[in-house]
Amino acid sequence: MFITGFITGLFLVRRRMRVGLLAILLFMAGLAGPLGIAAAALPDDQRYPANGDRLLLWVSYERGRAPAEASGAEALAAAGVEVWSLDPTSSYFLPQLGHSMDAVPQEDVADWMRAALASGKQVTIYAVARAAVPVLRGLAALEPTQRAAICVMLMYPNIYREAEPLAEPDYLDFGSLEGMRIRILQPRRSAATPWLPGRVEALEMQGANVSSVILENLRENFWARETPTEFETIEGRRLDAILLREMESWGCR
Amino acid sequence: MGMSLGMKWGHRLGLVAMLLLASPLGAAGFQARDAVPAPALVARDLAGVERTLADYRGKVVLLNFWATWCPPCRREMPSMERLRVKMQGRPLEILALDSAEPVEDVKAFLAIMKLGFPILLDPDGVITKNWKVFGLPTSFLIDAQGRIRYSLSGPVEWDEGEALQIVESLLAELPATHDKAGKAPNP
Repeated sequence: MFITGFITGLFLVRRRMRVGLLAILLFMAGLAGPLGIAAAALPDDQRYPANGDRLLLWVSYERGRAPAEASGAEALAAAGVEVWSLDPTSSYFLPQLGHSMDAVPQEDVADWMRAALASGKQVTIYAVARAAVPVLRGLAALEPTQRAAICVMLMYPNIYREAEPLAEPDYLDFGSLEGMRIRILQPRRSAATPWLPGRVEALEMQGANVSSVILENLRENFWARETPTEFETIEGRRLDAILLREMESWGCR
Repeated sequence: MGMSLGMKWGHRLGLVAMLLLASPLGAAGFQARDAVPAPALVARDLAGVERTLADYRGKVVLLNFWATWCPPCRREMPSMERLRVKMQGRPLEILALDSAEPVEDVKAFLAIMKLGFPILLDPDGVITKNWKVFGLPTSFLIDAQGRIRYSLSGPVEWDEGEALQIVESLLAELPATHDKAGKAPNP
């Protein structure tokens, strides 16, 4: 809105002034550097402090942080697991579309993970759906020792470059995932379930050590469905317990 | 600020035109295919009878991948049933292949929604993978020679608009052995 108004205003001033203003704008643009290549910064997250020695980085998917996720984070903090919750669409003003996640700067995510490691706590990062993409890119940008120190949990990760009917799926290349431990949480009632082995293999081919678990009788984003089943409602209220169970079974202590 | 009667009507017509353009009927998202032979499909129906695509050679086939837990799949099912009724006697076969779930779930769903077309089962998802189906619902329109002519990711109202036009266009390619009422022509 501001930019539109500004441009409209430009056309209202006299020609000589217009040229002058454009020159100033170009100069300022030159100082700021190319558009879209902003310096890395810590993303704007929501923190749930706790005194325990574990820290969970929780990355919501493109539809934003659901109330059940906020409640889950609070419950984890009450249990001693500190949570830093990132809602990428909100933090980066992105449209609520899956591929918006691809636009989240990987350096910001990497810096966020470095900041988490600097806390001295055992760090686990958890991402939902397409949010796996900036997380894996951020992890790939870390030093191998930093990467190996982080546990990774991905809820039905969408890591396709392309997935079209009748064609072999094409997976994204994240760079080296050597030394990474990834646990995939896959709701049974999902079109992605038959493709779980393919996604595991794609991540293993890039060097990660991958395990998976099927979440029975659940659909994708079961914690935020418009018409949840009774079981989904129950499970959505105990996201904290599900994540804690998976963190512990995956050795993220 | 005043507006003449003509301007008011102009605005209204413009709005209607915009709404029509924005209607989902014009944007179902069918993808035309290069008439490649369909992958093999061998599946059992609810009665345990083995069915293959070859059983339907000579007919246009609407093959729909779905699941009971998938709300858009459930929403489009009644329109598939209406299409079946509308096309009775014409060489169109509708096959709904349930993807990767227990047969008990399918039976429970069909107790609520009565459907007149065959339901095929893919309990372990093998057919879903062979056909490279990544989302539900996904549908394929297969011509009488067993070639995939269109695919669609997502739901649609099958008995109207673009979907119906495409079905009719594939039926129109067949020799005129059936009229639109499903009756064979007089000798």
